[in-house]
Amino acid sequence: MHELSLAMEICRIAEERAGHAAPRLVTVGLEVGDDAGIEAANLEFCLETLLTLPPFRGARAAITRAGGDGLRVSYLEIDDDGPDD
Amino acid sequence: MTVRTIDVRERVMAQNDMLAAEVRERLARAGTVALNLVSSPGSGKTTLLERTLEVLGEELGLAVVTGDVQTQNDADRIARRTSRLVQAVITGGACHLDARQVLTALDALDLDRTRVLFIENVGNLVCPASWDLGEDAKVVLFSVTEGEDKPVKYPKMFRQSRYAVLNKIDLLPYVPFDVNRAVRYAREVNPDLRFFFISALTGEGLDQWFDFLRGVTARMGAT
Repeated sequence: MHELSLAMEICRIAEERAGHAAPRLVTVGLEVGDDAGIEAANLEFCLETLLTLPPFRGARAAITRAGGDGLRVSYLEIDDDGPDD
Repeated sequence: MTVRTIDVRERVMAQNDMLAAEVRERLARAGTVALNLVSSPGSGKTTLLERTLEVLGEELGLAVVTGDVQTQNDADRIARRTSRLVQAVITGGACHLDARQVLTALDALDLDRTRVLFIENVGNLVCPASWDLGEDAKVVLFSVTEGEDKPVKYPKMFRQSRYAVLNKIDLLPYVPFDVNRAVRYAREVNPDLRFFFISALTGEGLDQWFDFLRGVTARMGAT
Protein backbone atom coordinates (compact mmCIF):
# COMPACT_ATOMS: atom_id res chain seq x y z
CA MET A 1 0.00 0.00 0.00
CA HIS A 2 2.96 2.29 0.64
CA GLU A 3 4.67 1.48 -2.65
CA LEU A 4 3.97 4.97 -4.01
CA SER A 5 5.87 6.58 -1.12
CA LEU A 6 8.77 4.20 -1.74
CA ALA A 7 8.67 4.88 -5.48
CA MET A 8 8.89 8.61 -4.80
CA GLU A 9 11.90 8.10 -2.55
CA ILE A 10 13.52 5.87 -5.21
CA CYS A 11 13.00 8.64 -7.79
CA ARG A 12 14.58 11.15 -5.40
CA ILE A 13 17.63 8.93 -5.01
CA ALA A 14 17.80 8.34 -8.78
CA GLU A 15 17.59 12.06 -9.52
CA GLU A 16 20.26 12.83 -6.95
CA ARG A 17 22.67 10.18 -8.26
CA ALA A 18 22.03 10.73 -11.98
CA GLY A 19 22.34 14.50 -11.70
CA HIS A 20 22.06 16.29 -15.05
CA ALA A 21 21.90 12.89 -16.77
CA ALA A 22 18.49 12.16 -15.18
CA PRO A 23 16.63 12.64 -18.51
CA ARG A 24 18.85 9.93 -20.03
CA LEU A 25 18.16 7.42 -17.27
CA VAL A 26 17.00 4.15 -18.83
CA THR A 27 16.99 1.67 -15.95
CA VAL A 28 16.70 1.81 -12.17
CA GLY A 29 18.00 -1.42 -10.68
CA LEU A 30 16.29 -2.38 -7.43
CA GLU A 31 16.75 -5.10 -4.87
CA VAL A 32 13.55 -6.00 -3.02
CA GLY A 33 13.75 -8.21 0.07
CA ASP A 34 11.25 -11.05 0.33
CA ASP A 35 10.29 -9.89 3.82
CA ALA A 36 10.26 -6.18 3.02
CA GLY A 37 6.46 -6.08 2.91
CA ILE A 38 6.61 -4.70 -0.60
CA GLU A 39 4.43 -5.75 -3.50
CA ALA A 40 6.99 -5.79 -6.32
CA ALA A 41 4.44 -5.53 -9.13
CA ASN A 42 2.81 -2.55 -7.45
CA LEU A 43 6.16 -0.86 -6.91
CA GLU A 44 7.03 -1.40 -10.56
CA PHE A 45 3.71 0.09 -11.63
CA CYS A 46 4.26 3.21 -9.48
CA LEU A 47 7.80 3.63 -10.82
CA GLU A 48 6.68 3.17 -14.41
CA THR A 49 4.45 6.19 -13.97
CA LEU A 50 6.82 8.38 -11.95
CA LEU A 51 9.76 7.69 -14.26
CA THR A 52 7.89 9.29 -17.18
CA LEU A 53 7.68 12.59 -15.31
CA PRO A 54 10.42 15.25 -15.53
CA PRO A 55 13.32 15.12 -15.13
CA PHE A 56 12.89 11.51 -16.28
CA ARG A 57 11.76 10.40 -19.71
CA GLY A 58 10.49 6.90 -19.35
CA ALA A 59 13.08 4.84 -17.51
CA ARG A 60 12.11 1.34 -16.42
CA ALA A 61 12.57 -0.47 -13.14
CA ALA A 62 14.51 -3.74 -13.03
CA ILE A 63 13.57 -5.56 -9.85
CA THR A 64 15.66 -8.36 -8.37
CA ARG A 65 14.37 -10.32 -5.38
CA ALA A 66 16.68 -10.84 -2.43
CA GLY A 67 16.51 -12.34 1.03
CA GLY A 68 15.85 -10.19 4.09
CA ASP A 69 13.61 -7.16 4.52
CA GLY A 70 15.65 -4.53 2.72
CA LEU A 71 14.90 -2.34 -0.26
CA ARG A 72 17.84 -0.90 -2.14
CA VAL A 73 18.54 1.03 -5.28
CA SER A 74 21.40 -1.09 -6.57
CA TYR A 75 22.32 0.65 -9.82
CA LEU A 76 21.27 3.17 -12.47
CA GLU A 77 21.76 2.83 -16.22
CA ILE A 78 22.28 5.99 -18.23
CA ASP A 79 22.16 6.22 -22.02
CA ASP A 80 25.20 8.33 -22.79
CA ASP A 81 24.14 8.85 -26.41
CA GLY A 82 20.72 10.25 -25.60
CA PRO A 83 19.87 13.98 -25.76
CA ASP A 84 20.35 15.94 -22.54
CA ASP A 85 17.14 17.95 -22.75
CA MET B 1 23.07 3.47 -27.46
CA THR B 2 25.96 3.53 -24.99
CA VAL B 3 24.72 2.53 -21.60
CA ARG B 4 26.74 3.50 -18.57
CA THR B 5 26.00 1.93 -15.18
CA ILE B 6 26.18 3.90 -11.96
CA ASP B 7 26.65 1.78 -8.88
CA VAL B 8 24.28 3.09 -6.20
CA ARG B 9 23.64 0.50 -3.48
CA GLU B 10 21.59 2.88 -1.37
CA ARG B 11 18.93 1.72 1.03
CA VAL B 12 15.67 3.42 0.15
CA MET B 13 14.84 3.92 3.84
CA ALA B 14 18.24 5.43 4.61
CA GLN B 15 16.99 8.99 4.72
CA ASN B 16 13.98 8.13 6.88
CA ASP B 17 16.23 6.21 9.25
CA MET B 18 18.59 9.17 9.51
CA LEU B 19 15.68 11.45 10.41
CA ALA B 20 14.37 8.86 12.87
CA ALA B 21 17.76 8.86 14.56
CA GLU B 22 17.49 12.64 14.87
CA VAL B 23 14.03 12.30 16.47
CA ARG B 24 15.41 9.69 18.86
CA GLU B 25 18.30 11.91 19.84
CA ARG B 26 16.08 14.94 20.51
CA LEU B 27 13.70 12.85 22.61
CA ALA B 28 16.55 11.31 24.58
CA ARG B 29 18.04 14.72 25.28
CA ALA B 30 14.68 15.91 26.63
CA GLY B 31 14.15 12.68 28.58
CA THR B 32 10.93 11.98 26.67
CA VAL B 33 9.72 8.43 26.04
CA ALA B 34 7.93 8.03 22.69
CA LEU B 35 5.37 5.32 21.94
CA ASN B 36 4.21 4.72 18.38
CA LEU B 37 0.57 3.62 18.56
CA VAL B 38 -0.47 1.49 15.58
CA SER B 39 -3.68 -0.36 14.68
CA SER B 40 -6.29 -0.82 11.98
CA PRO B 41 -8.83 1.99 11.59
CA GLY B 42 -11.45 1.84 14.32
CA SER B 43 -9.61 -0.25 16.92
CA GLY B 44 -9.78 2.57 19.44
CA LYS B 45 -6.46 4.43 19.35
CA THR B 46 -8.08 7.81 19.80
CA THR B 47 -10.43 6.66 22.57
CA LEU B 48 -7.52 5.06 24.44
CA LEU B 49 -5.57 8.29 24.14
CA GLU B 50 -8.54 10.31 25.40
CA ARG B 51 -8.81 8.12 28.50
CA THR B 52 -5.07 8.11 29.05
CA LEU B 53 -4.85 11.89 28.82
CA GLU B 54 -7.73 12.35 31.26
CA VAL B 55 -5.97 10.32 33.93
CA LEU B 56 -2.27 10.77 33.27
CA GLY B 57 -2.10 13.88 31.09
CA GLU B 58 -0.70 16.17 33.79
CA GLU B 59 0.96 13.51 35.94
CA LEU B 60 3.14 12.17 33.16
CA GLY B 61 3.29 15.26 31.00
CA LEU B 62 1.75 13.59 27.97
CA ALA B 63 1.82 15.01 24.48
CA VAL B 64 0.32 13.56 21.32
CA VAL B 65 1.15 13.69 17.64
CA THR B 66 -1.77 12.38 15.60
CA GLY B 67 -1.49 11.24 12.02
CA ASP B 68 -4.50 11.09 9.74
CA VAL B 69 -4.85 10.75 6.02
CA GLN B 70 -7.40 13.53 5.99
CA THR B 71 -9.06 15.82 8.60
CA GLN B 72 -7.68 16.73 12.00
CA ASN B 73 -10.71 15.23 13.74
CA ASP B 74 -8.65 12.97 15.99
CA ALA B 75 -6.42 15.81 17.11
CA ASP B 76 -9.49 17.94 17.84
CA ARG B 77 -11.10 15.10 19.80
CA ILE B 78 -8.00 14.57 21.89
CA ALA B 79 -7.35 18.28 22.41
CA ARG B 80 -10.79 18.64 24.03
CA ARG B 81 -9.65 16.29 26.81
CA THR B 82 -6.39 17.90 27.71
CA SER B 83 -4.50 21.11 28.14
CA ARG B 84 -1.47 19.20 26.91
CA LEU B 85 -0.20 19.73 23.42
CA VAL B 86 -1.70 17.86 20.53
CA GLN B 87 -0.11 18.24 17.15
CA ALA B 88 -1.98 17.05 14.05
CA VAL B 89 -0.22 15.70 10.99
CA ILE B 90 -2.37 15.32 7.88
CA THR B 91 -0.57 12.95 5.57
CA GLY B 92 -2.62 13.98 2.51
CA GLY B 93 -3.18 10.48 1.22
CA ALA B 94 -0.12 8.70 2.57
CA CYS B 95 -0.91 5.52 4.51
CA HIS B 96 1.66 6.04 7.29
CA LEU B 97 3.61 8.66 9.18
CA ASP B 98 7.29 9.10 8.36
CA ALA B 99 10.16 10.37 10.47
CA ARG B 100 10.27 13.76 8.78
CA GLN B 101 6.67 14.50 9.77
CA VAL B 102 7.39 13.56 13.37
CA LEU B 103 10.56 15.63 13.44
CA THR B 104 8.60 18.64 12.19
CA ALA B 105 5.83 18.00 14.73
CA LEU B 106 8.38 17.98 17.57
CA ASP B 107 9.02 21.66 16.92
CA ALA B 108 5.47 22.43 18.03
CA LEU B 109 5.81 20.48 21.30
CA ASP B 110 7.37 21.60 24.55
CA LEU B 111 9.58 18.53 24.94
CA ASP B 112 11.10 19.65 28.22
CA ARG B 113 7.66 19.41 29.79
CA THR B 114 6.82 16.14 28.02
CA ARG B 115 7.73 12.84 29.64
CA VAL B 116 5.69 10.62 27.35
CA LEU B 117 4.95 11.35 23.71
CA PHE B 118 2.29 9.30 21.97
CA ILE B 119 2.50 9.12 18.21
CA GLU B 120 -0.91 8.05 16.92
CA ASN B 121 -0.08 6.57 13.55
CA VAL B 122 -2.44 6.35 10.57
CA GLY B 123 -4.91 3.47 11.04
CA ASN B 124 -3.22 0.72 9.04
CA LEU B 125 -1.45 -2.46 10.11
CA VAL B 126 0.70 -2.73 6.99
CA CYS B 127 2.62 0.37 6.00
CA PRO B 128 3.47 1.97 9.37
CA ALA B 129 5.52 -1.16 10.14
CA SER B 130 8.07 -0.07 7.54
CA TRP B 131 8.73 3.43 8.90
CA ASP B 132 10.86 3.98 11.96
CA LEU B 133 9.67 7.22 13.57
CA GLY B 134 12.34 7.41 16.25
CA GLU B 135 10.03 5.91 18.88
CA ASP B 136 11.18 3.89 21.90
CA ALA B 137 8.59 1.20 21.23
CA LYS B 138 5.61 0.40 19.04
CA VAL B 139 2.33 -0.41 20.76
CA VAL B 140 -0.05 -2.38 18.56
CA LEU B 141 -3.73 -2.11 19.35
CA PHE B 142 -6.48 -4.44 18.11
CA SER B 143 -9.99 -5.14 19.27
CA VAL B 144 -12.37 -8.03 19.84
CA THR B 145 -14.62 -6.93 16.97
CA GLU B 146 -11.80 -7.84 14.60
CA GLY B 147 -10.49 -11.30 13.73
CA GLU B 148 -8.32 -12.99 16.35
CA ASP B 149 -5.92 -13.85 13.53
CA LYS B 150 -4.80 -10.21 13.09
CA PRO B 151 -1.33 -11.06 14.46
CA VAL B 152 -0.67 -13.75 11.86
CA LYS B 153 -2.23 -11.68 9.09
CA TYR B 154 0.01 -8.72 9.87
CA PRO B 155 3.07 -10.44 11.35
CA LYS B 156 5.52 -7.65 10.58
CA MET B 157 3.61 -5.18 12.70
CA PHE B 158 3.18 -7.58 15.62
CA ARG B 159 6.81 -8.65 15.40
CA GLN B 160 7.99 -5.06 15.59
CA SER B 161 5.76 -4.12 18.49
CA ARG B 162 6.88 -4.55 22.07
CA TYR B 163 3.38 -4.17 23.54
CA ALA B 164 -0.07 -5.26 22.41
CA VAL B 165 -3.35 -3.81 23.63
CA LEU B 166 -6.53 -5.82 23.09
CA ASN B 167 -9.39 -3.32 23.23
CA LYS B 168 -13.21 -3.47 23.52
CA ILE B 169 -13.18 -6.44 25.91
CA ASP B 170 -16.55 -5.20 27.23
CA LEU B 171 -17.98 -6.59 23.97
CA LEU B 172 -16.64 -10.13 24.50
CA PRO B 173 -20.06 -11.54 25.53
CA TYR B 174 -21.52 -10.44 22.19
CA VAL B 175 -18.84 -11.45 19.69
CA PRO B 176 -17.26 -14.80 18.78
CA PHE B 177 -13.74 -13.56 19.59
CA ASP B 178 -11.41 -16.12 21.21
CA VAL B 179 -8.93 -14.23 23.42
CA ASN B 180 -6.66 -17.22 24.02
CA ARG B 181 -6.36 -17.89 20.33
CA ALA B 182 -5.53 -14.24 19.66
CA VAL B 183 -2.78 -14.29 22.28
CA ARG B 184 -1.46 -17.58 20.95
CA TYR B 185 -1.28 -16.19 17.40
CA ALA B 186 0.46 -13.07 18.66
CA ARG B 187 3.04 -15.06 20.62
CA GLU B 188 3.68 -17.20 17.54
CA VAL B 189 4.98 -14.18 15.68
CA ASN B 190 6.44 -12.41 18.73
CA PRO B 191 6.97 -14.43 21.92
CA ASP B 192 8.08 -11.34 23.88
CA LEU B 193 4.93 -9.32 23.26
CA ARG B 194 3.45 -7.95 26.49
CA PHE B 195 -0.34 -7.82 26.52
CA PHE B 196 -2.91 -5.45 28.00
CA PHE B 197 -6.60 -6.35 27.95
CA ILE B 198 -8.76 -3.27 28.15
CA SER B 199 -11.96 -1.51 27.32
CA ALA B 200 -11.09 2.10 26.58
CA LEU B 201 -14.83 2.81 26.69
CA THR B 202 -15.71 1.37 30.12
CA GLY B 203 -12.25 1.70 31.65
CA GLU B 204 -11.87 -2.01 32.37
CA GLY B 205 -8.22 -3.06 32.52
CA LEU B 206 -6.94 0.47 32.15
CA ASP B 207 -5.28 0.50 35.58
CA GLN B 208 -2.62 -1.94 34.35
CA TRP B 209 -2.08 0.22 31.29
CA PHE B 210 -1.69 3.33 33.44
CA ASP B 211 0.71 1.57 35.82
CA PHE B 212 2.72 0.42 32.85
CA LEU B 213 3.00 3.99 31.57
CA ARG B 214 4.08 5.25 34.98
CA GLY B 215 6.70 2.51 35.05
CA VAL B 216 7.90 3.03 31.54
CA THR B 217 8.89 6.60 32.24
CA ALA B 218 10.72 5.59 35.40
CA ARG B 219 12.47 2.71 33.69
CA MET B 220 13.56 4.67 30.69
CA GLY B 221 15.04 7.29 32.96
CA ALA B 222 12.68 10.20 32.30
CA THR B 223 12.28 12.59 35.18
